[in-house]
Amino acid sequence: MKATALFRPFERGVLAQRTGKTLGTAFLIAVCGIAVVPLVFMLGASLMPGSEVVSIPYRWIPEEPRWSNFHRALSGSDGKWAYLRNIMNSLIVSTTVASSSVFLASFGGYGLAKFKFKGRNTVFMGIMATMMIPFEAVMIPLYLTAVKLGLQDSYAGLILPFLTSAFGVFLMRQYLLGFPDELLDAARIDGCSELRIWRSIVFKNAGPAVATLAILAFRGQWDNLLWPLLISQREELKTIPAYIVRYTADLGADEGQMMAVAVIASLPVFVLFFTMSKYFLGGAGVYSGSKS
Amino acid sequence: MSKGPQKRTLEGRRNSWGWVFVAPVILFFSTFSLYPILMAIWTSFLNKKLLSLKPPKFVGLKNYEIVLGSADFWNSVRASATFCLGVFIPVFTLSLLFATLISTRPRGKRIYQLALYSPAVLSSVVTASVWLILFDPRGLANQLLNTIMNTPGIDHKWLADRSMVQISTMLVYIWKVLGYYTILFVTGIGKIPQSVLEAATIDGANARQRLFHIVIPLLKPTMALVSVMIFISSLKTFSTQYLFTQRGAPVGPVNVLTLNIYNTALHDQNLGKASVMSLLLFATLLLLSWLQIRAAGSGSEIES
Repeated sequence: MKATALFRPFERGVLAQRTGKTLGTAFLIAVCGIAVVPLVFMLGASLMPGSEVVSIPYRWIPEEPRWSNFHRALSGSDGKWAYLRNIMNSLIVSTTVASSSVFLASFGGYGLAKFKFKGRNTVFMGIMATMMIPFEAVMIPLYLTAVKLGLQDSYAGLILPFLTSAFGVFLMRQYLLGFPDELLDAARIDGCSELRIWRSIVFKNAGPAVATLAILAFRGQWDNLLWPLLISQREELKTIPAYIVRYTADLGADEGQMMAVAVIASLPVFVLFFTMSKYFLGGAGVYSGSKS
Repeated sequence: MSKGPQKRTLEGRRNSWGWVFVAPVILFFSTFSLYPILMAIWTSFLNKKLLSLKPPKFVGLKNYEIVLGSADFWNSVRASATFCLGVFIPVFTLSLLFATLISTRPRGKRIYQLALYSPAVLSSVVTASVWLILFDPRGLANQLLNTIMNTPGIDHKWLADRSMVQISTMLVYIWKVLGYYTILFVTGIGKIPQSVLEAATIDGANARQRLFHIVIPLLKPTMALVSVMIFISSLKTFSTQYLFTQRGAPVGPVNVLTLNIYNTALHDQNLGKASVMSLLLFATLLLLSWLQIRAAGSGSEIES
C-alpha cells in the first residue's frame, strides 16, 4: 500500500504529461493543416470552372480537371498573352535585382567589415539609417525623378531603385566580420590584388549569406506591387503583381482562371522554397541571429 | 590609430581600399535614399501637383495644416492603428504558442516549420486574390462560418460590411505572416541553453514552471524584437487593402496610410499632401525602428 501511494503521484504525472504532449502535437498538426488549406484550395480551384469554385457545398477535388484554365490564364481574355510577357518581366527584374544586390552588398559589406578606414563608422551608421526609410516615404520623389529622366516604362526604371538594400549590406558585413584575416593576408603576401581577393576568396566563400540575400532580394521583387504600379503604365512592362491586380479587379473574371493565374505566379517561389528551404528559414532567422 | 605618419604605412594604404569597396553603395544610397527623402521634405512645403506644368509655389506649413485638420487623414490613422493592433495580438500570442509547441517536439520540427511558413512564400497579391475568392458571398468562408454557427444560407458580407472588411484584411495578414514570426521565436527559443532547462527539470520544475520562469524571461529580447517588427511591417500593409478595394470593397474602413498616400498622390495628384503623410509615416516608423535597435541591442547582451 505504501509503495503504491508513493508511486501514484509520479505515475499520474507521467500520464498527464503524455496526454498533454499528444494533445499539443494534435493541435500543432491541426494548425499546420489550417495553414496549408488555402494553398490546397488555390491548387484545386485552379482546375475548376468558376461556377464550381464558388458552389455550395464546396467540393475540394475538381470533377473534371480543367487544364484550359492555365491556357486562358496565360493568353488572357483578349488573347494577347500579356501575362506571359509580365512573367518574363518579373523574372528579369527579380533575377537582376537578386544578383546586383548580392554583388553590391558583398562588395560594400566587405569594405565595412575588413578595412579600418577613416570615417568607416559614419558610413556604416549612415547606411543603417537608410534602412529605416520606408519605401512609401521616398516613392513619390523617386517617381518624379524617374519621369524626368524618362525611365517610365523601362526595365531600368523598374530595377534601379532596388539595385541593393541597406539590409543586404548589413547582412554581408555581419557575415564577413567573422571571415578569417589570415586567409586575406596570405593572399596579399602571394601578391593578390585587393579586387581579386574579394572576387576569388571572399565572394566565393560567402555562400550561405549570398544565398540568403539572393532569395530575400528575389522574393522582394517578385512581391513588389507599389513601385511597378507607379512606374509601368504600359501593359508590356507590368510585372506579375500588377497584372494580378488588373485581372482580379475585373469583376467578370472567372474564379478558376484567377486561381490558375495565382498558381502560375507562385510556381517559381515554391520551387525555390522546396529546393532551398534552408535559406528561406535562415532568412527569417537572420534578423534575430546576426545582431551579436 | 590612423594619425599622420601611419597613413603612409602599408596598412594605411591598404585600409584606404575600404573606400573603394564602399563607394558604390554610398553612391547608391545617396541617389536612391538620401536625395529622395530630402526631396520629400522639400515637397511637403510646396503645393505641387502631379503632371501640372505650373511651377509649384512654396506654401510653408499649409500642407501640414490641411493634413492634420482633415477627417480623411485621421480616418487613415484609425484604420492603420486598428489594423496594427488587431494583427499584433493574435500574431504575437499564436506565434509564441506555436514556437513553444514546435520546440518541445524535435521530431517533425522541420515539417511543422515548413508547413507553417508556406503561406509566407506566396506573394502578398496572390494571397489577397486567393482570399478574395474564399470571402466571396458563395465562398468557403461563409460556408465554414455558417456550419460552425449553424446559420445556413447567411451572407456575412466579408468584403462589404464596415467591420467585416477590416476583420477580413486582418485574417489574410495573420495567416500570411504567422509562420515567419513562429520561426523567429523558434530561433529565439533554440538559443536558450539546454543545460538551464535540464537543471530546472532535475530540480523538479514542471513544464508550466519552466515556461513561465525560464523560457519567457530568457526570451524577452526576441519578444521585444518580434513585437516591433510586427508593428513596423503591419504599418506598411498595402496589397490586401489595395486589391480588396479595387474589387469593390468600401475604401473608408480599410483606407490605411499607405493606401491613402498612394491614392492622394496618383488619383488626387496632390503631391504636397501625400509627402506630408509619408513623412508622418516615416517619423512613426523611425520611432519604432529606434525601439527595434534598442530591443536587438538588449538581445546581444543576453547572448554574450
